[in-house]
Amino acid sequence: MLKSIRKLRQNGVIGINERNINYVNPNNPRKLLRLVDDKLETKRVAQAAMIPTPELFGVVRDARDMKHLPDLLMRDDGFVIKPAQGSQGKGIIVVDSPLRGGWRMASGRRITMDVIRFQINNILSGMYSLGGQTDVAMVEYRVKFDDVFGKISFKGVPDIRVIVLRGVPVFAMLRLPTAESDGKANLHRGGVGVGIDIATGFTRQAMQHDQLIELHPDTAHPLENVQAPYWDDILMMAARSYDVTGLGYIGVDIVLDRERGPLLLELNGRPGISIQIANRRGMRFVLQQAEKISLENHSAARRVEIAKELAAAAPASPLAGEAAAAKADAAPETSVSG
Amino acid sequence: MNSIRHAILLGFALIAAGGAIFCIKTISLGYPVAPGVMTSVWDFEIYLEFEGQDEPARIEVYLPAGDVARTFPQEQFYNGPFGLSLSTERQTRNRKAIWTYRYPNNRKVLRYTAQTTGETAATPLPGAFRAADPEPAGFEEEPIRRQAFIVWTGDLRRRSADDRSYVDLAIAEIFKPRDEGELYADELAVLLDGPGNLSRLELATETLRAAGVPARIANGVFLTESRRRVELKHWLEYHMDGEDFRFFPEGPQSRFFTIWYGARDLVRATGVGDVAVQLALQERRNSAVELVKRGGDDRWGGLEHIFTFSDLPLTTQLVYKVLITIPVGITILVFLRQFIGVKTLGTFMPVLIGIAFRETALLNGLLLFSLLIALGLALRFYLERLQLLLVPRLAVVVIFIVMVMAGITIALTNSNQAIGLSISLFPIVILTMTIERMSIVWEETSAGEAIKQGLGSLAVAAVTYLAMTNDFVEYWMYQFPELLLVLMGLCVLMGRYTGLRLSELWRFRELSR
Repeated sequence: MLKSIRKLRQNGVIGINERNINYVNPNNPRKLLRLVDDKLETKRVAQAAMIPTPELFGVVRDARDMKHLPDLLMRDDGFVIKPAQGSQGKGIIVVDSPLRGGWRMASGRRITMDVIRFQINNILSGMYSLGGQTDVAMVEYRVKFDDVFGKISFKGVPDIRVIVLRGVPVFAMLRLPTAESDGKANLHRGGVGVGIDIATGFTRQAMQHDQLIELHPDTAHPLENVQAPYWDDILMMAARSYDVTGLGYIGVDIVLDRERGPLLLELNGRPGISIQIANRRGMRFVLQQAEKISLENHSAARRVEIAKELAAAAPASPLAGEAAAAKADAAPETSVSG
Repeated sequence: MNSIRHAILLGFALIAAGGAIFCIKTISLGYPVAPGVMTSVWDFEIYLEFEGQDEPARIEVYLPAGDVARTFPQEQFYNGPFGLSLSTERQTRNRKAIWTYRYPNNRKVLRYTAQTTGETAATPLPGAFRAADPEPAGFEEEPIRRQAFIVWTGDLRRRSADDRSYVDLAIAEIFKPRDEGELYADELAVLLDGPGNLSRLELATETLRAAGVPARIANGVFLTESRRRVELKHWLEYHMDGEDFRFFPEGPQSRFFTIWYGARDLVRATGVGDVAVQLALQERRNSAVELVKRGGDDRWGGLEHIFTFSDLPLTTQLVYKVLITIPVGITILVFLRQFIGVKTLGTFMPVLIGIAFRETALLNGLLLFSLLIALGLALRFYLERLQLLLVPRLAVVVIFIVMVMAGITIALTNSNQAIGLSISLFPIVILTMTIERMSIVWEETSAGEAIKQGLGSLAVAAVTYLAMTNDFVEYWMYQFPELLLVLMGLCVLMGRYTGLRLSELWRFRELSR
């Protein structure tokens, strides 16, 4: 056990305690968390800063709004209903297309108006919101995801999670839905996480249930070396999310739409730490360097450049051997040019 | 990172403050560290009954000596119509009560009671006695006995080597058991004016004093058994070569209670007749803590009255007995979450379940909770299909749980199964919340995750229950509430733990290869 503790320290792996104390608490003032906990707020500030997001069709706030629900849902190319203050993908319905007397969900099952009403009522009563306070339901554009990840995802929308420390993108991961995760890209529900090299946008190692894998469990396609399109745009969106929210440690979730390109789906004020497994290394050293650099107040474009330099300087896979591990240990001392 | 230093400083300060008060109480005030330490406390009573004779009455009674180092907490006087004054004799330092009344008639009763743990052979003699200069009086008023005394002590001195052997020899000869009719040596026959112990003790005192050894007669009772009528006993106390000695003519005593010194009687009464004196002893087992509290040690400014619950009304005390253990459970929960990484439903839910186990005992509680949660979940999923709103659905679950609990209780009672299942209001709410949370995890994450968190909650509940009902924990928290500061300090320190959790070692096993 001591050996594995030492190994994890060498790799700079951070746990939930360290994430909360060193990164979330000092960087994310409680007051500002409202901006990310409420997805309507997130959408508002993102739109104001010209960061593209899925189009909002309507909001259901109470029983009166419910009357207009049928009109709201008359969408041939589907829609998504989600609680504005939900977390971890809870309470989200993704509808693909109308089906006789109802709709077809992304998972392929049929859903009726009654069930949708019930689900919205649950959302309104606060069943999915943090702390259980009453909530509102958002109806928005269903992303028609880019085929680039089509072969390595199963029913549902893959998204890209970028961890951003004070505007510097530090880690990225592609999250792929699986049959097990019921079309949702959440790792703890059985989704697949694939590390992405910040410098190039190419995917690296993949993981599911905290274990490394090489092929997608459902489609059996290799997960490595897939280029994420619009990579620079994605990094820019991630970096600018810091400027518009002021939150210093966020997970930025971005989806790729076939027609509209990358769209900001949501921001997470307490992003998970499994991304370290998908990238096969700990975040601590990169986070420490990014922290140092952030004191210099660079523009978003410059921060993206710095992020790429940081990623290129770090060894691609420090787990290759003892020597690489030692290198990772020495990483904080490596000076970054520029 | 100023906040780290601040937190660590605060944590250790809290622990130090709580620990310091704890140490003062255990070491200096003598609180027992282990629960259930019992000491015998004796209720001692002097009971006086006499006939008033319509003339000014004065009754002097010696009271337990005030300068003996012993626990002697409460004394009470029952004066009737009499006036009471207390005084201390200058020479003997005996304390006495003087009851007076102008014209008492018919039978009167006076009472004095005290509580004590008594003294043992190890109790030191009063310092004033040790320092006192012995004045060799030696039967000065009676020339014949004076002569005999001089011969007797001279003989003893010749036959002994030093003070110690002189004393030993004197005591041995004076208290040597003799058969009926056996004659004493001439001098002893003259010096002892009766067969009783008292005259021998008087002689021994004089003999020791003649050799410059401080000695006196102590009068009191032996604490051996509870009795309405206790015999007064007399023994010899002397101080020699820096050591304290007690000689009991009846043989060594383990526990006794000194009342006064000297050869005078316990009671001297004038103006009344037919005086009856009765001494009574009643043994009581008391927890050692109670005794410490009543001891009234004022050195620490009544510390024991600030950090204690025993001055509160009894019902409030009982509530706090339970309440005060909750922080222990919560601290354990913090440890399990921050260091081990146990997943639970809700933050403090497991501690609440642990408290609920108090009503049901552990095994019954685990079975009952598992059963009710399983049934409740089944109902919850059925209601899901009816598409009820959140609050009415919760209400249905609550009603269902009340029904099931009532059913179980009635069934068990009818079949005379005395499992001791006491059902209270409190667990129902907790059960309902647990079911609701669990069903959300079930639905939104996975059945496995829900069961994992449910089992985690029950495990944590069991651990916290065992901790909160542990005799040691209950005793420590209740008698030493300052330990709350220690727990608070621990939680502050744990709040700054940035290391990995035990569960994260497993989670990141791919990275530790």
